[in-house]
Amino acid sequence: MNPYRRSLFIRLTSVLVYAFLYAPILVLIVFAFNSSRTNVNFGGFITHFGPLTMEGSTVIQSPCGPFHWFCELGKNREVMGATKNTLTVAFISTITSTIIGTLAAMALQRYNFKLKSFTQVSLYIPIVIPEIVMGIGILVLFSQLFTFLNGLFGITGDARLAMGLPTVIFSHIAFSIPFVTLVVQARLQGFDKSIEEAAMDLGANELTTFWRVTFPTILPGILSGGLLAFTLSLDDFVITFFTTGPGGTTLPIYVYGLLRRIITPQVNALSTVWVLIVFSIMLLLQRVQNRNT
Amino acid sequence: MKDKLLKVFVVIILGSLLLTACGGGAKPTSVSNPTSVSGEFVCPDPENKVTVTSKELNLYVWTEYIPTDWITCFEKVYGVKINREEYSSNEEMYAKLNAGGSNYDLVQPTDYIVGLMIRQGLLQEIDKNKLPMSNFNPSYLNLPFDPGNKYTLPYEAGTDAIIYNSEKVTNPPTSFADLWKPEYAGRMVFLDDSRVVIGMTLLTLGYDVNTKDTAQLDAAKTKLAQLIPNVKLFDSDSPKTALIAGDVDLGITWTGEAFTAQQENPAFKFVYPKEGAILWQDNWAIPKGASHLDAAYAWINYTSQGNMFWMMLRDFPYIVPNQAALDYAKTNQADLFNAYMNSTITNVPLDAIANGHRIEDVGDATPLYDKIWTEVKGGQ
Amino acid sequence: MIKRLRENKSFQGTILATPTLIFMVGLLIIPLILTLIISFGSRSADGNVIYGFSLHNYVRMFGFSTDCQNGKSTCFDPLYTQIMWRSLSLAFNTTFLVILLAYPLSYFVARSHPKRRNTFLFMVLVPLWTNFVIRVYAWMMLLRTQGVINGVLGWLAGLFGLHFLPLEMLYTPGAVLVGMVYEFLPFMILPIYTSLEKIENSLYEAAADLGANPFRTFLKVTLPLSMPGVVAGTILVFIPVMGTFIVSDLLGGKQVILVGNLIQRQFLDARDPTFGSAASLILMVMTLIVTYFYTRKFGFGEEIIAV
Repeated sequence: MNPYRRSLFIRLTSVLVYAFLYAPILVLIVFAFNSSRTNVNFGGFITHFGPLTMEGSTVIQSPCGPFHWFCELGKNREVMGATKNTLTVAFISTITSTIIGTLAAMALQRYNFKLKSFTQVSLYIPIVIPEIVMGIGILVLFSQLFTFLNGLFGITGDARLAMGLPTVIFSHIAFSIPFVTLVVQARLQGFDKSIEEAAMDLGANELTTFWRVTFPTILPGILSGGLLAFTLSLDDFVITFFTTGPGGTTLPIYVYGLLRRIITPQVNALSTVWVLIVFSIMLLLQRVQNRNT
Repeated sequence: MKDKLLKVFVVIILGSLLLTACGGGAKPTSVSNPTSVSGEFVCPDPENKVTVTSKELNLYVWTEYIPTDWITCFEKVYGVKINREEYSSNEEMYAKLNAGGSNYDLVQPTDYIVGLMIRQGLLQEIDKNKLPMSNFNPSYLNLPFDPGNKYTLPYEAGTDAIIYNSEKVTNPPTSFADLWKPEYAGRMVFLDDSRVVIGMTLLTLGYDVNTKDTAQLDAAKTKLAQLIPNVKLFDSDSPKTALIAGDVDLGITWTGEAFTAQQENPAFKFVYPKEGAILWQDNWAIPKGASHLDAAYAWINYTSQGNMFWMMLRDFPYIVPNQAALDYAKTNQADLFNAYMNSTITNVPLDAIANGHRIEDVGDATPLYDKIWTEVKGGQ
Repeated sequence: MIKRLRENKSFQGTILATPTLIFMVGLLIIPLILTLIISFGSRSADGNVIYGFSLHNYVRMFGFSTDCQNGKSTCFDPLYTQIMWRSLSLAFNTTFLVILLAYPLSYFVARSHPKRRNTFLFMVLVPLWTNFVIRVYAWMMLLRTQGVINGVLGWLAGLFGLHFLPLEMLYTPGAVLVGMVYEFLPFMILPIYTSLEKIENSLYEAAADLGANPFRTFLKVTLPLSMPGVVAGTILVFIPVMGTFIVSDLLGGKQVILVGNLIQRQFLDARDPTFGSAASLILMVMTLIVTYFYTRKFGFGEEIIAV
C-alpha cells in the first residue's frame, strides 16, 4: 500500500486552501504593476519607458516602465529607514532572546531551583495574553520610569530617556524569550542523557560535553526558536506601536501609516519585494537542508 | 552552517542593493500635477537665518502633511537631521505626549485639543519675537482656543462638511439633517470622529456642538442611533478611497480629502450644510522639554516663508492661513493660486465661515461622548 | 563564588534563569501590576488617573453602570458585555473555521513524501512572512465593491449574459471573519501538522489490516493522536483574535467593535486609562479561563512550538 496515498477530498481541499492562502498575495503582486495611482482598479501595465508622464491619475510613461512603483520605493528614504530599523530590531532581539531563552530552557529542564515554578509560569503568560495588554502595560511602565528617572537625575535635552528604538528592542526580547524557551525545552525533553553520561565516562569535562555533545543535538531546537523569534519580531505591530518613539519606526508601523494616506501601488511594490526576499531565503534554506540530509 | 548563513546574508544584501540602485535625488512629490514632473527643486535661502547648534530635529506630525521638499531643503540649508514621526489622530499624539517619556520638538495639534494640552502643561510658550507673525492672515490669529497665540502658530485650516458624487446621487443633500434620508442608506462614509458625528447630530437638533447637557446628548444619541445603520463605514484616515472606489457615494469628510477626490473625479461636490460646517485649524506647537529649540524655531521660520509654504498649495490642498505664501503663489505659481481661489473647498465663502462651528474640548464630558459613540456603533 | 557555582546545582539553575527572570518580571509582571493599580483608579476631568481603590471600572464592564440616566444609583447597561460576547463569538467562529480549513491541509502535508514535506510547509509559511498589515490590505482589494472578486464575478456573469449586482462584502462583520481566518490559518496548520507527522505509517496500515475503513481510522486513530496539535493551534488562534483591533478596524469599517478596539479607544479617544486598564485585565482573564478549561479537557500541546 502506498503510504503517501491521500483521498481526492484531501487533495482537492488542500489545493483550495493553498489557493485561499495565496490569492491575496497574487493580487498584491499584480497590483504592484498598476498604472493607476489610486490603486482602486487595475488600470493595466505601464508599457512605455521614458520621462514620467501622467494622465489624470494614470501613469502613461515612466523611466522604469512597468517597474515604476519599485523605483519610487527605492527613492523612498522612509522605507529604507524603516527597513533598517526592522532588521536591526529583529536581529538584536533574536540573538539576545535566543541566548537567554536557551539558558532558561536548560535551567528549567535540568535543574531544580527555588524560583523554578515561578519562572515557568511567567514564561507562559506572554503567550496567552493578548498583545495589546502587554503593549499598553510596557508603555505605562516605561513612561512612568522615564519620567521618574529624568526627574530624579535632572536629565534634560538629548540625553533624556525616551521611547524609541531601544525600548522597542527590549519589548521584542521580552515577548520572544518565552517562545524560544518552549522550543528548546521541547527539544531537551526528548534528549537522551545517557549520551552525555557516556561522554563524561570517556573523560570529557562538563564544558566539553556540553559543547560537543549536548549543544549540537539541541541546535535544531535553538535554530527553530531563533527563527520563530525572528518571525515574531519582523511582523510585530501592536507591541511596537505602543513602545516606539522618534526614529523608531519599523516597517509594520510604516505600512500601517501608509495605508492611512493616499494609497499608491508603492505599498504593493513593497509587499512584492518583501515576498520575493522571503521566498528566496526559503528556497536557499531548502536547498541547503536537502543537501545536508 | 556558516555556508547557509552566508548565503542568507548575500540574498538580503543583494535585495537591498537592488532597491537603492533605483534611488536618485529627491524629486518633488507632486499630487496635483497633471502633466510631466519638473526637474530638481532649488532650495530658497532662509530669510532670517538663525544659528543652530542642534544636530537633530524631532518632528511629530500628521501623516501626509509635510512636503518632502521642506525636509530635504532644511537638512541641506541647516545641516540638521530631521526625524519624522507621524500620527493620524490628535488623541494618539496627546496620549503619547501625556504618557511622558517622549522627546519631540514640534507637534501639530488641532484647535480643540490645544486647551487641554495647555492645561496639562504639555506645551511651552512660544517667543513671538522669533517668529514671522506678519506672514499670517490676522483672521487666523488670536482665536479663542489660544488667545494671543501664546502657544501656537497657525499651520493649515479646513472644514468638515458633506461630499457627494453628483453622478450617483440624484437628490443631493444640502444639510446635515438630509443625511437621515432613507435613500442614502448603505451609501455613506462618515469620519470616525465622535465629536464631529455627534456634533453634527446636535446641530440638526439645534443644540450647541460642545454641549455638556445630558438631556441634549441623550436626544442626540437617540437620533444618531437611527442613522448609524445607514452608514457603510467610518474612516478618518482616507475616506476618499471608499468614495473614489465607489463603495460609497456620499458622506462627511474634510477639506483635503474632498479636494483630492474632486481631482480624481470632478463629479464629486463639497457642500457646506445649512446648519453650518465644522471649522478647524491645525497649528504648530512646541512640547515642554523639547531639546532642540533652536532647530524648531529655525524650522518654523524657514517653512513659513512665502517661497516655501506655497508648496502646501501644490501638495496638500487645505485652507492656507499663511498670507505670504498666497502672495508668493499669486505671482509665481499662478496655476496653483487660481486653482486654490476658484475652489469653494479651499477658498471658503465668507458666509460658510460665519455660519461654521468650532469644536472645543469638553473636559469631563469626554467619556460621555465616547460612551454614546461606543453605544451607537457597537449596538448592532 | 565560582566554587559554589561548580558545586551547587540549584545555584547553577538560578544563574541560568536569571536573565529570563529579569525580563519577565521587569517587562511583564511589573507592567501588569501597574495596569492593575491603574484599573482601580478613577478618571480625572482631563483623562488622567486619580489613584484610589474602586471597583467601578470592573462593575461597568459587566453592565452595572453607576451613571444612570433615570436617576437610579445603578442600572443595567449591557453595552460592554455585548462587546465581550461579540469578541468571544468571533474568536470561536474563527477558530472553528480555521480548524476546518487547516486540518485537511495539514493531513495532506503530513502524509506526503518526506522530501516534499518541507516544500509544502514553506509554502504555508511564506504568506506568514509577509507583513500582517499588508495581508489585511490585500483583502480590502479583493472584497471591495469594485474589487477583484466582484470584477471576476462580473466578468463571469457577462459571459453567461447575466445581470450582475456587485456584492457588498467589505466593511461587514463577514469581512472581519474572513480576514481573521486568513490571518491565523497558518498558526493552526503548523501545530496540527507536527502532531500528525508523528503518527507512523504503520499505524494506518495496522488499522487497515484490522478492517477499519478510512473514516473509522480517522475517528479512532488520527483524530485522537492529533489533538495536542489542535489544542496548541487553538491557543495560537483564539487568543490573538480576542485582542486584535486592526482587522476589525480595516475590514469592518470601524463598525465592528471588539474588546481590542474598545481597549485601544479608551487609551486614545476616550482618554480613560482606568477603564482601559480594567478592560485589558478582563480580556486577559477571559482568555486565561478559556485556555485553562480547554487545556484541562484536551491537554496542553507541545506542538505549540512547531515550526
